Amino acid sequence: MTDTPIISLSNVGKSFGSFQAVSAMSLELKEGEFFSLLGPSGCGKTTALRMIAGFQEPTQGRVEIDGRDMAGIPANRRPTNMVFQSYAIFPHRNVGDNVAYGLRSQKVPKPEIAARVAEALEMVELGGLERRGATELSGGQRQRVALARALVMRPRVLLLDEPLSALDKKLREQMQFEMRHLQRSLGITFVMVTHDQYEAMTMSDRIGVMFDGRLVQVDDPATLYARPCNSKVASFIGEMNFIPGEVTAESSGKLSVTAAGFGALAIPANPNVETPGKSAMLGIRPEQLEIAKAQPADYDATVRGTVSDVAFYGENVHYHVQVDGIDRPVAVSVPNYFHTVDYRQGDQVWLGLLGDSVIDLGQQDQ
Amino acid sequence: MRRPSGLTAYAFLYLAFLYLPVLFLPLFSFNSGTIVAFPIKGWTLDWYRQLGAQDTLIQALANSLMVGMVSALMSTAMGLFAARAYTRYRFQGSAASEGLVMLPLVVPGIIVASSMLVLFISLGLKPSLTAVILGHTFLALPFAVSILKSAFDDFDVSLEEAARDLGSGVIETFWRVTLPVIAPGIVASILVTFTVSFDEFVLAFFLSGNRPTLPVYIWSQIRFPAKLPNTLALGSLLLLASILLLVVAEYFRRRATKSRV
Ligand SMILES: Nc1ncnc2c1ncn2[C@@H]1O[C@H](COP(=O)(O)OP(=O)(O)OP(=O)(O)O)[C@@H](O)[C@H]1O
Ligand SMILES: [Mg+2]
Repeated sequence: MTDTPIISLSNVGKSFGSFQAVSAMSLELKEGEFFSLLGPSGCGKTTALRMIAGFQEPTQGRVEIDGRDMAGIPANRRPTNMVFQSYAIFPHRNVGDNVAYGLRSQKVPKPEIAARVAEALEMVELGGLERRGATELSGGQRQRVALARALVMRPRVLLLDEPLSALDKKLREQMQFEMRHLQRSLGITFVMVTHDQYEAMTMSDRIGVMFDGRLVQVDDPATLYARPCNSKVASFIGEMNFIPGEVTAESSGKLSVTAAGFGALAIPANPNVETPGKSAMLGIRPEQLEIAKAQPADYDATVRGTVSDVAFYGENVHYHVQVDGIDRPVAVSVPNYFHTVDYRQGDQVWLGLLGDSVIDLGQQDQ
Repeated sequence: MRRPSGLTAYAFLYLAFLYLPVLFLPLFSFNSGTIVAFPIKGWTLDWYRQLGAQDTLIQALANSLMVGMVSALMSTAMGLFAARAYTRYRFQGSAASEGLVMLPLVVPGIIVASSMLVLFISLGLKPSLTAVILGHTFLALPFAVSILKSAFDDFDVSLEEAARDLGSGVIETFWRVTLPVIAPGIVASILVTFTVSFDEFVLAFFLSGNRPTLPVYIWSQIRFPAKLPNTLALGSLLLLASILLLVVAEYFRRRATKSRV
């Protein structure tokens, strides 16, 4: 592993006519990392990926792969390979020929092709299926063929456009695990596009969050979850209660705030915040709140409320609690330790909150 | 939901009106009498047997086969590029140019034929089979374009991108991926355009000069009552061939649509 980034985007933009699909995107990827581009539909993820692959030329900025400027270099001469969202399995060829396609194109000697194809199919657990017709594959098998067909080329970077979105939930979770495992053992850089936050979080070393063509935050999953840079990112990743607050004082990594409903709290400063300000939006994850019948001790702030809604998820239970001074009910998530749902709609409860678990999200949007 | 019962009867009458006359052709081609009228005198295969011995007929058939094959290949090759452009790219005037390509479907044949005759003569091209080939290519182009367009509509663009991604250049991608995947559509187009040319009369009549195609030859024979049964036999064979060809073409067209994984 070297220090030069395997992929470097500097100020890359792409416009279609007057429409800016990707703007001023700058990003450096380390060799061997699993990177995900996460964002809502239409935010420009695919466009960004296709500029790296060479299917689209950026209208501004510069794409470098392994230190080489990629301007004017077509997809067939880039050290990247792609797994397409539709998988793009060649329908007129069997599995073996699909996987061998790129090697034949490179005029690799025949015996070596056979060996590498077998090895690649083994890798995706399709060993021995060379002869199977492309039209006779299940969705999961097609996904694996697409993966094998790209990996057999031994690319420096593997690009994946929503590779799992066509699979059902169970298979998707299994493939997430397998792909992560494969990526670690091969040490190839993976760049994956997804709009599924859980997929991005479970698989990636780092995640880049995109909105409206802009890369808003790049961080590892834990940081992204704990220190999102604004309310939009916070609401896209996991669940979040948004509570308006006032910053009253600031000192060495701590903020003194007054949160609606909860009152005065000392909370950690968030170094990622985009626009700090006096009136800040505060984020509280539902699982960070304590819910109890009696006023809980050892919390920095406690408040009374009324349960307005109960949702049972199996592994945990969500209560919506109406609290004076907060417009929307506060969501509280409790692990389902003892298979009981302790509170019902209309119950009077207490909520407990630790200042350290409150996230400063910066200047309020509205 | 029940359909109004009159509608079914109407549909059958309509079909009978359309196709019954066509059925008279093979029926009377087996009639041993030379007059085309009921009752049928007796059954014979003589009219079919005599066909093989008629040299001018064989020559006309050869002309038609040649014209049909060349214009089928030309219109399909041109249609291939046009269809790919229409389905893949949005460009200025694409709708207009597509409309123009489809025009021969609606312009009366006699107008196309006479204007082509004038055009070719003014260009110094005498009526000949070459002229017929050019005319038929023009007539068959809309059929080729619409069949191939549906083949390209069903073609996942990312197949070509995948080929590029795996190291193929533009030309290799076309040969190794695009062409094989839409091959059934190409076969369908060749068969249909061949049939269009093979059956065509008006243009061939204007442009063929002294080397008639089969339909022109048949027309010239119809004037002689004695030759009529032969012509009926020939017509029946052509009918059978056309139907077979179109059935095969339809089979390939459907296969093209299904090829998407
Ligand atoms: N070739 C194109 N011409 C015009 N506009 C385009 C083109 N490709 C993409 N766009 C537009 O650019 C924007 C971003 O598209 P892109 O496919 O990158 O989104 P995405 O984030 O991948 O969305 P999704 O999750 O739905 O796949 C969209 O608004 C899209 O309509
Ligand atoms: Mg996309």
